[in-house]
Amino acid sequence: MDYNPSLKSKSLRKAVRMFAEAEIGPIAHDIDRDAVFPWDVVVKMKSLNFFGLQAPKTFGGAEMDSLSYAIVIEEISRVSAALGLCLTVHNSLAVYPILRYGTDEQKKRFLPDMVKGEKIGTLCMTETSVGSDAAGVETHAGQEAGAYVLNGTKIFITNGLVCGTALVFATTDYQNPRKGSVLFIVERDTPGFIVGEKEDLCGMRANPIATIFLENCHVPEKNMIGHPGDGIRLCLKTMDAGRIGLAALATGIAQAAFEASLRYAKDRKQFQKPLSSFQTIQNYLADMATDIDAGRLLLYRACEALDSGRPFAGEAAMAKLYCSAMAMRIADKAVQIHGGYGYSKEYDVERYFRDAKATEILEGTSEIQRIVISRAVLSQRA
Amino acid sequence: MLRLVVCIKQVPQVSELPWDPDTGRLQRELAEGMMNPACRFALETAFSIREKVGAKIAAITMGPPSAEEVLREAIALGADKGILLCDEKMAGADTYTTSSTLAKAIQSKIPRFDLILCGSSTSDGETAQVGPQLAEELDIPGVAYVDDIEITGNKARVRRVADQFLETMEMELPGLVTINARSYIPRYVSMTGFQAAFAEDITTYDAAALGLSPEWIGSKGAPTKVLRVYSPRMDKKNIVLTGTTKKIIGSLFSLFDDRIGGIIGKDLKTDKKAK
Repeated sequence: MDYNPSLKSKSLRKAVRMFAEAEIGPIAHDIDRDAVFPWDVVVKMKSLNFFGLQAPKTFGGAEMDSLSYAIVIEEISRVSAALGLCLTVHNSLAVYPILRYGTDEQKKRFLPDMVKGEKIGTLCMTETSVGSDAAGVETHAGQEAGAYVLNGTKIFITNGLVCGTALVFATTDYQNPRKGSVLFIVERDTPGFIVGEKEDLCGMRANPIATIFLENCHVPEKNMIGHPGDGIRLCLKTMDAGRIGLAALATGIAQAAFEASLRYAKDRKQFQKPLSSFQTIQNYLADMATDIDAGRLLLYRACEALDSGRPFAGEAAMAKLYCSAMAMRIADKAVQIHGGYGYSKEYDVERYFRDAKATEILEGTSEIQRIVISRAVLSQRA
Repeated sequence: MLRLVVCIKQVPQVSELPWDPDTGRLQRELAEGMMNPACRFALETAFSIREKVGAKIAAITMGPPSAEEVLREAIALGADKGILLCDEKMAGADTYTTSSTLAKAIQSKIPRFDLILCGSSTSDGETAQVGPQLAEELDIPGVAYVDDIEITGNKARVRRVADQFLETMEMELPGLVTINARSYIPRYVSMTGFQAAFAEDITTYDAAALGLSPEWIGSKGAPTKVLRVYSPRMDKKNIVLTGTTKKIIGSLFSLFDDRIGGIIGKDLKTDKKAK
């Protein structure tokens, strides 16, 4: 067991940090304030293969292991969580399921454009009445000669406004949605695939999260991943792997909030002394550093389990549960250390606070993570 | 196909490194390494030459085993191979033993090179000597502080800004340039490039493999010795001038005529005497 990062891990972190700080850093505050998706930077990210992090070389990807992937997401999210979210949803929830569960024909048809970032991916699961109870999906997939006709509304869709290829979760069976669950690859230009308004959310504001309407959207049968009835299983498996990206995203936010706090505590003087000279603040910083380390170790363990082919669902859920709550704790303390400035939109810690909250909700709430973990725990012999 | 050699150096990532006041040495172990910024420009210039006329690019560095990282980075950015000159006996080299070791390695391992590109200076040493000394060691033409370079046949046309003049020179290849340059903006490491760089082998040579006598390399062979390193102390004092405006201006000039003269470009002392 080696807890020291390898030369490769350290170099990767430096390389991504160099890009993120130079290219995303100067705009991170503004794109959150103005809620805009920074195409200029995204174009650069495309050419540096950020949209094909784990895809095989044959499709033009970087073929990274999960640990490297987590480091990339951490470093991008440390500067802009909204862009980290764009990458993790694209790579983990759109590219990964096609790669893992798609047919060769589907891979050849969809992956090259997605890996290049020409088509940004997303996964459409959440609906107005369907959140944590994913199997209760209401979007209907009616069968018609060689095609399925999708009808329904998907909300809180990450990358929604800018997506080019969406994975859509639906059911053929209103009575028993789980049994009829299906997962489709749907191209944005498909008639009846209608991208709605951008959602006005608390955090992750630079990510164009939107509602997507499916109105008699005809999708060819060959766009189905797996078979009818496989949908829910494929979605849940995808979510298992996606949790690693989410935990990395949360860790990146926490790291940023911690570094801002450290800088501020050393600079800011009260009672003629820097904040960092007060034991209360020292304790805060000590707790924050310990908390981030604990989360990161859980995250890297989950990565290792996934890469070595062992069962990892429990580990990934633990990492997601812990890291998202940890990010919230760190962001909370960061705001507290900054005092009134921390509560001001002028400083970045308030953004970290808003972005951190999202990680406890999306891609499976903390409550759902506990269900996943308890399943892994209860399957052990008492 | 041109053969380009880019000399790169790993430097500490922070500008203000703690140093040991007793020995005068930087506590390098406390810093993360990075590729010297000017070397990134040299590398990018090599890429631009490759794009125009085609070239094979070898990145070479002398340093501790950790310097492998900057070679991997060079490969990730697009270099074709990385060569590490690494030996405890090479440690503590000054600019002379650095350039003579590099020269020996290039002569014996990449003898048929066309052009060597170096950064104009490093962010830690700032001597700007290694490039020119290397040209001298190899007995090839060298031009320092180059902004742009164009290669036709076996000639290189180089451009540089010196003392506010734009100089254009021509030199025969093989030659050496040190790059100052803002002409080519260094690229970022791509994720596929990064993965590929860690799949490559780095060629490592020690002193024996280069046929170098321990007497002539590292701190042992260095004709210069660092006697002392220290941060200059700046003592500040506040002076409050009082009295009438005329008196204040008078005492201001008598206290600071040297510095005011320096700013306005006039010799106030001599002027005063002349009057």
